[in-house]
Amino acid sequence: MVLEATMICIDNSEWMRNGDYAPSRFQAQADAVNLICGAKTQSNPENTVGVLTMAGKGVRVLVTPTSDLGKILACMHGLEIGGEMNLAAGIQVAQLALKHRQNKKQQQRIIVFAGSPVKHEKKMLEMIGRKLKKNSVALDIVNFGEEDEGKTEKLEALLAAVNNNDTSHIVHVPSGPNALSDVLISTPIFTGDGEGGSGFAAAAAAAAAGGVSGFEFGVDPNLDPELALALRVSMEEERARQEAAAKKAAEDAAKQEKGGEQPASSQDATMTERASAATSEAENKTTDLMDDENALLQQALAMSMDDPAISHDVKDTDMSEASASDPELALALQMSIADSTKDQASQSDMSKLLADQSFVSSILASLPGVDPNDPSVKDLLASMQNQPEPKEKNDDKPSDEEEKK
Amino acid sequence: MACLHDHSCEDHDCSSDWSLYKHIDLSKVSALNEANPGSVKSVFKAWEERLNTSGEHLESNEGDPELLVFIPFTSDVKIKSISIVGGADGTSPSKMRVFINREGIDFSDAQSMQAIQEWDLVENMQGVLEYQTRYSKFQSVANITLHFPENFGGDTTKIHYIGFKGQATQLKRDVVATIVYELMPNPSDHKTRAESGGGLSHIE
Repeated sequence: MVLEATMICIDNSEWMRNGDYAPSRFQAQADAVNLICGAKTQSNPENTVGVLTMAGKGVRVLVTPTSDLGKILACMHGLEIGGEMNLAAGIQVAQLALKHRQNKKQQQRIIVFAGSPVKHEKKMLEMIGRKLKKNSVALDIVNFGEEDEGKTEKLEALLAAVNNNDTSHIVHVPSGPNALSDVLISTPIFTGDGEGGSGFAAAAAAAAAGGVSGFEFGVDPNLDPELALALRVSMEEERARQEAAAKKAAEDAAKQEKGGEQPASSQDATMTERASAATSEAENKTTDLMDDENALLQQALAMSMDDPAISHDVKDTDMSEASASDPELALALQMSIADSTKDQASQSDMSKLLADQSFVSSILASLPGVDPNDPSVKDLLASMQNQPEPKEKNDDKPSDEEEKK
Repeated sequence: MACLHDHSCEDHDCSSDWSLYKHIDLSKVSALNEANPGSVKSVFKAWEERLNTSGEHLESNEGDPELLVFIPFTSDVKIKSISIVGGADGTSPSKMRVFINREGIDFSDAQSMQAIQEWDLVENMQGVLEYQTRYSKFQSVANITLHFPENFGGDTTKIHYIGFKGQATQLKRDVVATIVYELMPNPSDHKTRAESGGGLSHIE
């Protein structure tokens, strides 16, 4: 959220007619400029951006630093390609434009798009760089288009002269399938210095990087909040419906097992449902689920192993946690409490079942979110086994089971 | 104009004279052409610490001895004199030009503008030299900009201490930022003795 005045120097020389960046170098550059303006104005409403062209008849300032995005986008229309780029003059005029900014509290920054060959001497560029550094102006260079030998070297020298504490950056964008704007989105030019990116940049990046992975349901909440909301609500309803059906099935199946198994299996059921629904969702969601499931599973198993008198308190706390995170799970846990209080005798049988390593491991393995190799799960299994059976045997058994999976 | 302390400092407490540093708005102090951004804040300290060269100091960029320091105060001050302790080996500044109450001055402005006052400095390693100001021009200073164009031949310019002697007024030069206008009086603001003690006047 740094307060900044930015001047963007556009290269509109003859070299920009080339089509190696889709649709043309100039268009790719214009898109990138639009995105940058948007990102800057979004990250801080008092930021100002100005634009100038470096080629054509001479360096021409199209718009002085302003926070009005519409004005900036409008001036990008009707730009003509021609002439040769004058990098030194462009930077100097940009510096002058920034000097006369209205709000002196803004940091000064120049963003240069260098697409055509640089005809200036390295020494001259270094001198310009030093002058910028002296006046604490930061410089971002986008090196694209022509790959002249010496051009990269000159631009790197310019950056080295300007750079003060990593506030200036250079980005080399080779021609390729990715659009210029997409490549720039992930660079510090867009994200600012160590800020982690404005919401705009992050959203744009996610959308560009390939739809589904960025967002739930593949829809950007920024772009279409109602659609995103509708999708989320319908997903919840579907999940609830499936959960109800699964619970019913689990109840029928679990009548053979002892009461204490209820939490594990219904949890199993809910988690399977959740998991199947979640396969289309982002990776991060599944990892969150895994953490929750691990913790909850441990609690459930610990609960069922414990003395019913003690476990009551545990159950209460578990209930509140569970209800906070997952109402379906709360229901399952509630069922387990009811069952265990009714059925004291079943505890011993249930413990025997849980003592059966293979059974427990198979449950764990079937839970898509739980990794049987997770150390916490391993510990849990080991501690469970401590009561009925010797420990070494247990360590062997789970490892065998896990190796098979 | 430079004057020497014509007394030894044990007689009175010099540090109380040089206490204007307390009225400097350190968060808004800035410098141009400093090698380490933010190092300019370290030169504003108490009189006793002025010769302490071990901590951070202000240094200009390699090969460029010019420095520009912008100092805003928290309230308007009257500046009587300025003291500068520079670095050794020719890194002390040799000239100082100041500008009053002008924000956003950069090097090209500083070089072209007429300064309020200019001084030729000498190397002040013991920190006993002070440079008197034309007091009438420094009566209500909200911010001051110091421009050091040259030094004594060193590669960079180093400054360890900048001190201001003078008085702080309680006034602020800034435009009033927030004003709350009342459309109707708020009775709770106008409690009278009679109200608490019981009496004829009664505010509802």
